[in-house]
Amino acid sequence: MTAYLIRRIIGAIIVMFAVATLVFFMLRILPGDPIAAMLFDVEDPNAVEFLRTKYGLDQPIYVQYFKWFGHLLTGDLGQSIYGSRMDVTRTIAEALPRTLSLAGLSFVIAMIIAVPAGLISAIRKNSPLDHIVTIVAFLGLSMPDFWFAIILIIIFAANLHWLPAIGYVPLAEGFWPWFSHLILPSIAIGTPFAAVIARMIRSSMLEVLQMEYIRVARSKGLLTTRLILVHAFPNALIPVVTVMGIAIALLMAGTVIVENVFAIKGLGRVLIQGILNRDYPVVQGSIIVVSAIFVFANLLVDILYTVIDPRIRYD
Amino acid sequence: MSTKKFDLSTDQKQEIKDQLRDAYDFDPKDPLFGLTRENLSGSQISRRSVLRLMAVSGTLTAWHLLPGAKKAFAQKRGGILEAGWAGVGEITTLDPARINQVLQFQITSSVLSGLTHLNADLVAEADLAESWTVNNSATEIVFKLREGVTFHNGDKFTADDVIYTFNRSKDPDRSINGGLLKNVASLEKLNDYEVKFTLSAPQASFFVKTTERASGRALTIVSRGAIEELGPQQYGLTPVGTGPFRVTEHTLGQSVKLRRFDDYYDPERPVLDGVNITPISEPEPLAAAMEAGDIQLIGGNPVAPELVDRFMANSEIVVDIIGGNGFQSVFLNPWRDPFKVPSFDKPVSELMKEKGFKVRLAIAKAIDRDRFIERAQFGRGVPAFGTINPAMGFFFDENLGETSNQKFDAPAARKLLADAGYPNGDGFPTLTMKGGPPVRRDMQIIADMLKTNLNITINVEIREFQVLVPEFQKVDYDMLRIGSGGDFDPDDGIVDFMQSTSRLNGANRDKSAMAFGHFGEADVDKLGDEQSRTSDLNKRRELVQKVNRITSDKVASAFIYHPVDTLVHRKEVNFPSRSRIVGLVDLDRVSFT
Amino acid sequence: MAIVTDTQNADELEVSAERTRWLRYLLRDKRAMVGFVILGIFVSMAILAPLIAPYDPNAQAFDMMEGLSWAHPLGTDDLGRDLLSRLIYGTQISLFVGISTVAMALVLGVFLGVVAGYYGGFLDNIIMRYIDLQWAFPNFIIAVYLVAVFGTGLFNVIIAVSLAFIDDFARVARSMVLTIKEEQYIAAAKTVGASDARIMWLHILPNAAAPLIVVGTVSISYAILAEAGLSFLGLGVNPSTPTWGLILADGRSFISRAWWIGVFPGLFIMLTVLSINFVGDALRDVLDVRETRSGGSN
Repeated sequence: MTAYLIRRIIGAIIVMFAVATLVFFMLRILPGDPIAAMLFDVEDPNAVEFLRTKYGLDQPIYVQYFKWFGHLLTGDLGQSIYGSRMDVTRTIAEALPRTLSLAGLSFVIAMIIAVPAGLISAIRKNSPLDHIVTIVAFLGLSMPDFWFAIILIIIFAANLHWLPAIGYVPLAEGFWPWFSHLILPSIAIGTPFAAVIARMIRSSMLEVLQMEYIRVARSKGLLTTRLILVHAFPNALIPVVTVMGIAIALLMAGTVIVENVFAIKGLGRVLIQGILNRDYPVVQGSIIVVSAIFVFANLLVDILYTVIDPRIRYD
Repeated sequence: MSTKKFDLSTDQKQEIKDQLRDAYDFDPKDPLFGLTRENLSGSQISRRSVLRLMAVSGTLTAWHLLPGAKKAFAQKRGGILEAGWAGVGEITTLDPARINQVLQFQITSSVLSGLTHLNADLVAEADLAESWTVNNSATEIVFKLREGVTFHNGDKFTADDVIYTFNRSKDPDRSINGGLLKNVASLEKLNDYEVKFTLSAPQASFFVKTTERASGRALTIVSRGAIEELGPQQYGLTPVGTGPFRVTEHTLGQSVKLRRFDDYYDPERPVLDGVNITPISEPEPLAAAMEAGDIQLIGGNPVAPELVDRFMANSEIVVDIIGGNGFQSVFLNPWRDPFKVPSFDKPVSELMKEKGFKVRLAIAKAIDRDRFIERAQFGRGVPAFGTINPAMGFFFDENLGETSNQKFDAPAARKLLADAGYPNGDGFPTLTMKGGPPVRRDMQIIADMLKTNLNITINVEIREFQVLVPEFQKVDYDMLRIGSGGDFDPDDGIVDFMQSTSRLNGANRDKSAMAFGHFGEADVDKLGDEQSRTSDLNKRRELVQKVNRITSDKVASAFIYHPVDTLVHRKEVNFPSRSRIVGLVDLDRVSFT
Repeated sequence: MAIVTDTQNADELEVSAERTRWLRYLLRDKRAMVGFVILGIFVSMAILAPLIAPYDPNAQAFDMMEGLSWAHPLGTDDLGRDLLSRLIYGTQISLFVGISTVAMALVLGVFLGVVAGYYGGFLDNIIMRYIDLQWAFPNFIIAVYLVAVFGTGLFNVIIAVSLAFIDDFARVARSMVLTIKEEQYIAAAKTVGASDARIMWLHILPNAAAPLIVVGTVSISYAILAEAGLSFLGLGVNPSTPTWGLILADGRSFISRAWWIGVFPGLFIMLTVLSINFVGDALRDVLDVRETRSGGSN
C-alpha cells in the first residue's frame, strides 16, 4: 500500500511537471500581445519595448521557461503582467476559497437532489416516478449553464428579491451573507451535476438490487427502507465514488461560466480572464492549481476506494 | 441635434431659457463679449463664461444646459452608497501610473487629486492648485498650490509631491503614462507651495489633458510615503491620495470600499460616509442588482443600451442622459483594395476621380446614422461625421451633418459604387469588418445596412481586445469598427487619431510601405498642430472645425455616432449637476435624499 | 484459410444479429422513441431550412423585439430578424457543429486509442501520457484555450471543441482494445498473417463499437452545450452563422424585455440535448455499456 501510494504520488508529480511545461509552451502560441494591448492608450512608443524587456518577454523562449520554472520550484508563480501586476500566488489564494465554497456547496446541493432521485428511480424502476425523475434529471443536464443561471437571477433576484443577484461574501463576514450569495450559483452548477450523479446512483443501485442477497430478501418481502439504506445503498455508492474524481473536474468546469455570470472571482474566472488577457503568468499559475486539484483529487478518490471496498488491494 | 429623447419638466425648460437669455446678453462689438480677463484666467473659467462663449460662437443649445437643468433635493449627510461598475470583472489597478481605462479613473477621481479637475462644462478648475498664471508665450505655467492639504495617511501635501509624481510618471519602470508628459520640458519647485511647468510648445489642452486629476493620470498626485510603505502592488489596490474618499479595502474582482476622508481640504465634502463598488460584467445581473436595490448607482463602462429603456420604465430608478464624449466609426484601410488611397493630399474633386476614394465615400454615405442609432443604441446618440463630439460643446460643429460629404444618401452611394466599377455591388469583394465584443450588435447592423443599400457582403468578425489592438496599430484590417471615449479636449480626436504621426494612427505599421496608418493629410497635420497651440478659444474653435471637416469630407473613416453619457442611479441617490461630468462619476457631492 | 473466413463470417453474423437485436430494443424503449422523433423533427428542419424558413435569417427587416404573431410565430429578435427563421437555420449549423465535432473527435481519438492499445509499449506510453495530460483538464477549459489560439468562427470552434474531446474517445477505445486484444479470434487472425491495419479495422473496431457509440451520441449534446458556453464567453461562431448557442448568448440581455429571445433558443437546445440523452441512455442499456465519463463536455 505504501509503495503504491509513493508510486502514485510520484506519478502525480510527474503529471504536474508535464502540465506545467506544456502549458508554458502552449501559451506562447496564443496570438495577441498583452503588452501592446495594455499600453493601447499610451503615447510612449518605448514603453512597450521597455515592459517587454522588464517581463523578460524579449528573451529566447527556453530562457523564459527555465527562469519561470526555477521560480515555480520556490513557489513563486510570478506577477500578473496585465493591469494589476498582482502576485499570482495571491490572486489564486484569494480565488481558491471562493471556488471551493462554490464547488462545495454545489456538491452538497447536487447530493441532496441526486441521492433520493437516484434511489427512487432505481427502486421503482420503470414506474412513472422513475420516468419523471429521469426526465427531470435530464432536463437539468440539458440546459446551457449560463442560461439557467440568468433565469435563476431573473426569478429569485430581480423579481422576487429573495437573494442577491451577484457577488461573493467571505464566510468570515457571517454565514448568511456567504450562503445567500452562493445559493443561486450553486444551484446553477449543482443541478446538471445532480443529474449525472442521480443517473450513476440509479444504475449502480440497479446492479446491487440484482445481487443474490437482496433478491432473496426481496422475494421474502423484506425489502425495507433499512435494507436499502444500510445494505444496498453503501454498496451502490462504491462505483459512484470511482467517478467522483471526474465529477470534481465537472464541478470545477461548471464554476467557470457560472462565476462569470454571478461576478464571483474564483479560479475559473481568473483562468478565463487570464486567457482572454494573454496574461501568461496568471494562466500558468491557475492551470497548475486547477490540474493539481484534479490530479490529487483523483489520487484521493483511489485511496478512498480501497478504504470503502476492502476487496481492492493495490500491490 | 435632437433633444426629443429628453423629457424636461416645465421648471427645467424655464431654467434653460433663462440661462440662454443670459448667455446671449452681450454686445456683439465687445471683443470680450462682456467677459473680463479675470473670467478667463485665475482658478477656473466660470460656467457663465463658457456659456457666453458658446453663445458667441452660435453653438449654444439646450444640450449644454441639460446638466445644469436639474432638480434640487433635500440632501442628507452620511450613508454608504452601493455602486456597481458595469461591464468589468475587476478593477485591476487604481494606481494612476498604470491606469488605462475610463472606468478606473472614474474611481481614482474620488480618491486622488490633481492640480486641476474638469467641471461639468469640461473646463479645468482648481483642485490641488489654488490658482495659476501663464506667461505671454504660453509655455510657462506657475501653479500656486493649496496649503494645509494632507494625504489619507497624514502626510502633508507640498510641491515635493508634485515633483515626485512627475518623476514617477516619467519613469517607464513605474508608469505607463509617461507619454502624456512629452510636451513638458521641465518642472521646477519654486517653493513649498509653488511649481513651474515649462512646456516645449504651447498646449491649449494642458489643463484638461495633463494636470487633470482623472483623465490626466500622469499628474494625478500620489503619495510617496504610501508607495514606499505599501509597495507598488498594494498601492495599486488601495492608493493613498488627498481626495475626498480613501480606499479602505479592495478585494480584486469583488469590491472596492471607499470611506469618507475626514481631513479633506473641503470640509463640505464628501457628503456620503462611503461607497462600495462592485464590478459586474454581465448586463442581466447588473440590471437585477439595480432593480432589487442591491446597488444604487452604476458606473464603469457605458450601460448596455438595451438596459436603458428598462431602467427608464422603473419609477425607482433615475436615468440621466447627456451628450457623451467620444466618437464611433468604421476605419477603412487605405492601403488595401477596394479602399486604396495612397495619398489624401489633393483636393476632394481630385480624390473623387479615384476608385478607392469612391468606394470609401460610398460606404460612408450608405450608412443611415439615424436608423443606426435607433436600432443599435435604441435611439440614444448623435450622428457623427467627425471626431469632435457634442460634449466638447464649444468646438462641436452642428452643421457638419448637413454639409459633410458623408451625409447619408443611399442612391448617391450606389452611384459612387457603380462609378468605381461595382454596379449594384457586382464584383465587390467580400470584406471582413473586425471589432471588439462590445460592438457586436453595432457591426451586424452596419453590415446589414451595407447589404441593403449597396448590395455588398461584409463578414463580421469579433476579435478580442488583445488581438484587435495590435492589428489596429499594424493597420491589419479591411474594415475596423473602433472608436474613442473619454475625449474631453479636441486634441483627443485630432492629435491622437487624425494626424499622420498620431499615436493611434497605425503606430506599429510597416512604415516603409505605408506613409500613414488609416489617414494622413498635410492640412490636418499642420492645422492640427496649430489648433493644439492656440489658446484663444474662438480661433482654436475655427481651426478645430476646419480640421474636423477635412477628416469628414476626405473620409478619414466612416463616422457613425457620438454616444450619449448615461448615468443610472436609484431615486434615493441625489447626484448634483455640478458633479455630472461627462464620462466621470465624481462622488464627492453625491448624497442620499 | 477456410477457418479464418469462417471466423470472419461468424464475426460479421454476430455483429449484424446484434445490430437488429438492439435496434429492436431501442424501438421498444419509449424514451428513446421520443428522442428519435424529436431529433427527426430537428434533422428535417435542418435539411429543409431554405424551404420552411419564412424569412432570410440575417435580414434585419422588421421591428426589433416584436412579440409573437402570425407573421412572426416566435417573434423578432433584438436586431429585427425573424426568430423562427434564425432558429431554423440555427438548427442546421448547431447540428452540424455537434455532429462534425464528435465525428472529428471520434476519428482522431479512436485512432490514437486503438493504436496505443494495440501496439502497447513505447507508442502507448507516449500517446497515453498525452491523453492523461489532457484528461487532467476539464474539456471546456481546453476548448476555451484552443479558440483563443485559433480565433473565433465556425470552423475554429469545431476544431477546438473536437480536439478538446479526443481524450474521452481515446481512453474508451484503448480500454476496449486491451480487452479485445486478448480474444482468441485476434490471435487466430494474426497467425494467418492478417495485417495490423486489417485486424484493427475488421476485428477490433466493430467489437469496440458499442461503448464508442454511446460516448459519441452523448458527446454530441456536450458539443452543442460547449458551443453555447463558448458563445457566452464571446468565443463562439461569427454572427452570420447563427447557432442556437449564439442566438441564446446574444439574446441573453434581452430576456427580461423580450422573453421569447431567451426562451426559444434555450428550448431548442434543451429539447435536442434531452433527446440525445434519451437515445444515448437507451443505447447504453441496450448495448450494456457501463457508465464511463459522464458529463465530459464541461
